[in-house]
Amino acid sequence: MHGKEFLMDTLRTFFAISTLSTIAILVLGLMFVPGQPIGQGYEAFATPLIFGLVGSVPNLVMYSKRELSVKELLIRKVVQLILVEVLVLYTAFGDAKDMWDDYTLIAAVAVSIFLIYLIVTAISWCQNYLEAKRLTEDLMKFQNR
Amino acid sequence: MVLKLLKIKKEEPEQIEIRCHEVTDRVREIVTFIKTRQGQLTGVQDGNQYEIPVTDICYVEAVDNRVFLYTGQQVYETRQKLYELEEVLREKYFLRISKSMLLNLMKIKAIKPALNGRFMAILQSGEEIIISRKYVPALKEMLKGGVC
Repeated sequence: MHGKEFLMDTLRTFFAISTLSTIAILVLGLMFVPGQPIGQGYEAFATPLIFGLVGSVPNLVMYSKRELSVKELLIRKVVQLILVEVLVLYTAFGDAKDMWDDYTLIAAVAVSIFLIYLIVTAISWCQNYLEAKRLTEDLMKFQNR
Repeated sequence: MVLKLLKIKKEEPEQIEIRCHEVTDRVREIVTFIKTRQGQLTGVQDGNQYEIPVTDICYVEAVDNRVFLYTGQQVYETRQKLYELEEVLREKYFLRISKSMLLNLMKIKAIKPALNGRFMAILQSGEEIIISRKYVPALKEMLKGGVC
């Protein structure tokens, strides 16, 4: 396993463990320490999962039965990002009107969402990059055999 | 049509002869098949017919029910269907990489990532061709030495 490949593998494991640990703490906490005051209980561990779910729904925009062109994909990526921003912001602040008036807060959350989107896209691109590199190496062997 | 198969001495040159009353589409189909097996395809450009060595073809593309052969510089139209060519060109290292395209693996210079889990083949001619996600497993299989 190459260095970059190892790093990607470790990152994937890290994200999987983080998510599954959050689920485990939520379930075990609600089972064994129920009745905590609202906002201080283990239900708070559901928050990252809810955001994860809400952030994943716009993935549907990328679905297509036919092969999309690069231009179409880019347009869909932008639509996906806008949907993620809207859905996550709405999930975070909902009907809290006083929150919506705090533009600095809204902008900070919006930028955070954008950065997370960029990081997720970059991780996915890195995985594809490594796979493409492997394919090219296999191709060279194939052509020279 | 009567089919005759004659075993000859090693000193004599091998040959295929078709004796027919008329050169029908069926006969042309047989001729095309034999030529393809011998490493040649018949292509038409500006009304002229050309014999193109399979090794010169970078990719084959179907557009609006017409099939085109692309070499580095030239484009020819062929009468053969894409699925027929897929069958006969498989052993010449051509692989289907999208619904409408067969790619000559020997003409690829590198593979790069494209958006959404797809890959892009950079050809020796500099052209860039998208490899659909659906056909990536077949590509991997073929590069590993398997037959797809």
